[in-house]
Formats: sequence, structure tokens, C-alpha cells
Amino acid sequence: MIQVESESVGKDGTKIVYVPKENLLEFMKEKKEEGFDMLLMVTGVDYRDHLEVVYHLLSTSTGNRIVVKTKTEGEVDSVTSLWKGADWHERETWDLVGIKFRGHPNLKRILLAEGWVGHPLRKDYPMDKKQYVNLAEDGEDTVSFDPSEGY
Amino acid sequence: MARILFHLILQRGIDMEDKVIEVNFGPQHPSTHGVLRIKVKLDGEIIVDAQPVIGYLHRNAEKLSEMGSYPKATIYMDRLDYVSALNMELGYVLTVEKLMDAQVPERALWIRMMLVELNRIASHLIWLGTHGLDMGMLTPFFYCFRERERILRIFDEISGSRLLYNYFAIGGVYSDITPKSISMIKEFVDDYEKKLEEIQSIFAKSYIYVKRTKDVGKLSMEDSISYGVTGPILRASGKKWDLRKNQPYLFYDKVNFDVPTRQEGDVYARFLVRIEEMRQSVKIVRQVLDKIPDGEFYNKKFSKPMLVRLKATGESYIPTESPKGEFGVYVIGDGSTIPYRVRIRSPSFANLSSVPAMLKGYKIADLTATVSSIDPVFGEVDR
Repeated sequence: MIQVESESVGKDGTKIVYVPKENLLEFMKEKKEEGFDMLLMVTGVDYRDHLEVVYHLLSTSTGNRIVVKTKTEGEVDSVTSLWKGADWHERETWDLVGIKFRGHPNLKRILLAEGWVGHPLRKDYPMDKKQYVNLAEDGEDTVSFDPSEGY
Repeated sequence: MARILFHLILQRGIDMEDKVIEVNFGPQHPSTHGVLRIKVKLDGEIIVDAQPVIGYLHRNAEKLSEMGSYPKATIYMDRLDYVSALNMELGYVLTVEKLMDAQVPERALWIRMMLVELNRIASHLIWLGTHGLDMGMLTPFFYCFRERERILRIFDEISGSRLLYNYFAIGGVYSDITPKSISMIKEFVDDYEKKLEEIQSIFAKSYIYVKRTKDVGKLSMEDSISYGVTGPILRASGKKWDLRKNQPYLFYDKVNFDVPTRQEGDVYARFLVRIEEMRQSVKIVRQVLDKIPDGEFYNKKFSKPMLVRLKATGESYIPTESPKGEFGVYVIGDGSTIPYRVRIRSPSFANLSSVPAMLKGYKIADLTATVSSIDPVFGEVDR
């Protein structure tokens, strides 16, 4: 059994478990063996002094749900080896919240253009600074603060 | 199709060494249902690899929702899956009500359930019509949109809008349903099943349609669960998993309906599952019409002047079964009038990520059939 930091229950009645980020991958492996066969989503939350990664797991055989949380400064282990669906969800979390996933096979931006400055779901993201995008082949998108250089 | 392909090959040039050609499908293409781009690697006609590229319709609805009060975010939910907007509103409203411990009058819950099922039929009809177009059939498109129009007229009568309703509110619904709208719904459910039979026979009796969809775009049950695929695609792969049955919300435990499943996991199975789902939805609407109680449609504690002052703490995620699969909104409140974090779990996003597994090894001609069988709506994929 992997040591958990704390346990609580959300308003919807789902169990919430805090895991230290060193033990995250092992803990997830254990949960998968327990029957949590579907990863519903990966979320990043910016709490200003630290970041949190939130995993929603579902067992399609029993219907159990669990929320796993990890505190981090910006880098955690990827769970793509356990669930194939984690790929896109982790890319989105990197794109919008700016959390790096160690061991992810293709950690690129998914929704925004490659080369975008900043991560919009951070609480300190400057909302008044407009960015203009020119879409091109993968990895060659250009982003500029000058309105004449993009759309 | 062939002409486009030829044009693309001319543009990209052919790498003669390994004979694998990379072809771009979309983002501007009539059968991508929006702005989907797929990078397809072809060995002759066989698909070696297919990687979807998304994000062309990104508006960051999550950030927008975190900038206003709780009721304000409902309109962004409308614009996620814009062909089944009420299903999206329901997911958000249920979560926020849980967060605020709000009591909702029974009549409002029944109204919600009935309208959500009607919206499910409308969403599946759009899918069916455009799926027919992708397969080269023009006729069913008109049949489907004729039926969908009747549902939109019902919504117009009830909420005042045809597409984006903003009708479900925290604590109930914005207005009561009128006797005229009830008679419209009755009229619709009375003869819809006959019309559906007619539409289904156009597909099922078409030799070409059946040939092009059977044993195409197969996805195994293990793969779909691992990818997080839910909804009709998961049920067509043999898993009996429907949140309305397995983890009932609203009053789904008080009505009778079946969960259709198929074992094949191909495009034709998804077609059959969605057709059967529409029949079950009609069944549910008919039962709701009998059971709907009189009373309040709105909790007075959540009347309009109070809405902007609503506060919430804690976190909650209520999963609902939208036409595409499991939809839910994960909301964290910090005690102020503005949600601290809103995360939208959109089913099409997860469903679309399974495209590489669905397409590998099939021919390029099966691509349109497979992609349209996923039923992606890009308002929801890109958010």
C-alpha cells in the first residue's frame, strides 16, 4: 500500500485522495489493478502558491469513482503508460495550465498554437495582452504580439 | 475525394523511398463536421497512421467561466455542444446546485429530463443526416432535418430560442412549460417512431451503406475503456454502460427504458445503437408526460436578483449522459461569487483521441465513415 497524505470527501460524495508526487505513478498503478480502468480527465489547478494535478478515475465494472490529487511545482510523472486516454488530457493540461508530464511521448500544445506565450488557465496570465497567430505545419506556427503579423 | 487526394499528393510530393505518403485531411473539408484535421500516413490505400489535430475552434470556455458569476457561465455551456445545448447546461447546473446545496422543485427536474431527452433525439438526428451525407446519401438528410425542425419549434415555444437556450437555471428552469408546448410534444412523440422507421429503412436497405459500414472502424471494448471513450461508441463495442441506468441522476430511476448495446464495435453497430437510443428517448418522454407533477418550477431562493450573489465552497463533479457520452463539469468554489476553477469533461474530446486505433489498417475510403461515426462536435472538442 502506498502512503497517502490525506483523504476527504467532495460535495458530490466522491473520495478525494492526496498523494505525494514521488509516489503518484505507483499509486495510480495500484488503483488500476484495483479496477479503475478509465481515466476520465486530468486537470491542473493553479492555487497561486502551488499547482495541483487532479485525476478523475472511474471503474466501469463497479461504478466507483475516485479523485486523486498531487501538489507540485510544475512537473509530475506521466500516466500515459497506464491509460491511453491520458495522452490528450496531459497535453491539454500542459497547454492550458503549464504542468509538465515526465515521460510523455509527445508533450506538445494541443489546443493553442505551438509557440503561444504563457498558459491561459494560470491565475497570473495577462488577459489584456492579445496574441496573433499564423498557423503553419506542426511546430512552425508563429505567434506575435503585433496585429499585422497574424490573425 | 480522389481529386482532393491527387491535389494533395501533387502539393506534398511523393517520398518514393519508403512509399509512405502523408496526406492532410481537413481542416476545411465537408465531411470533417467542423474543423478537424487528420494527418494520415498512407501506404498505397492502407492507412498506416492517423493523427487528429484539433484546436481550430478553441475559445477557452473554462477561463471565460472563471471570469464571471456562477449563473453567467451557463451561456458558455450552451456553446460547447451546440446541437444538444440543454444537455450541456444540465451538466453545469447540476454540479453548481450540488455545490450550493440547492433544493430544486420536482416539477423542474421532470421538465429538465423531458427536454434533455428531446434534445438527445435532435442531436442524434443531426448526426444521422450528416452521416448519410458522408456516405453519399442526400435523401435522409432532409428527412432528419424535417423531424429535428419539429423539436426546435417545441424548444422555441418553451424557451424562446431555437439553438442556444439558456433555459436551465440554478434552482430550476427559467419559465414554466405551456399547454401549447405540451400538445406539441405529444404530437411529436405520437408519430416520431413511425418516421424513424422510415429513416432507418433508407439506411438499412441500402446495400452500399451496409457494405461500407460493416466491419469498418472497429474499436475493441478494452481499447475504448482505455481511451476513455463513452456513450454510444462504448455501447456499440459491447459494454453496457449508461449513466442514466448505472448512476441515475434526475428521475431516470423512476422511468422504464433499455440500454441498447451491440458486440461488433464497427460503424454499423454505432448506427444501430443511436437509432435504438432515439426510440428509448421517445419512450422516456412519453412516461414523463404522464408523470410530470404540478407545482413550482423554480426555487424562490434563487430568484433573479439573488443570482449574482450566489456563493459556493468546495468541489463537485456530477457526471451526466450527454448524446456523445459522459459529460460533466468539475467546479471548485473558493467562497466568492466567482468559480475558482471550472473544468469541462467533454466526451467528444476523449472519443476523438481514439481515432488512431479506429483507423489503423483500414482503407482511405473508410476514413469518412469512421470519423463521422464518432459524431464529434467541435464546439465541445476544442472548447
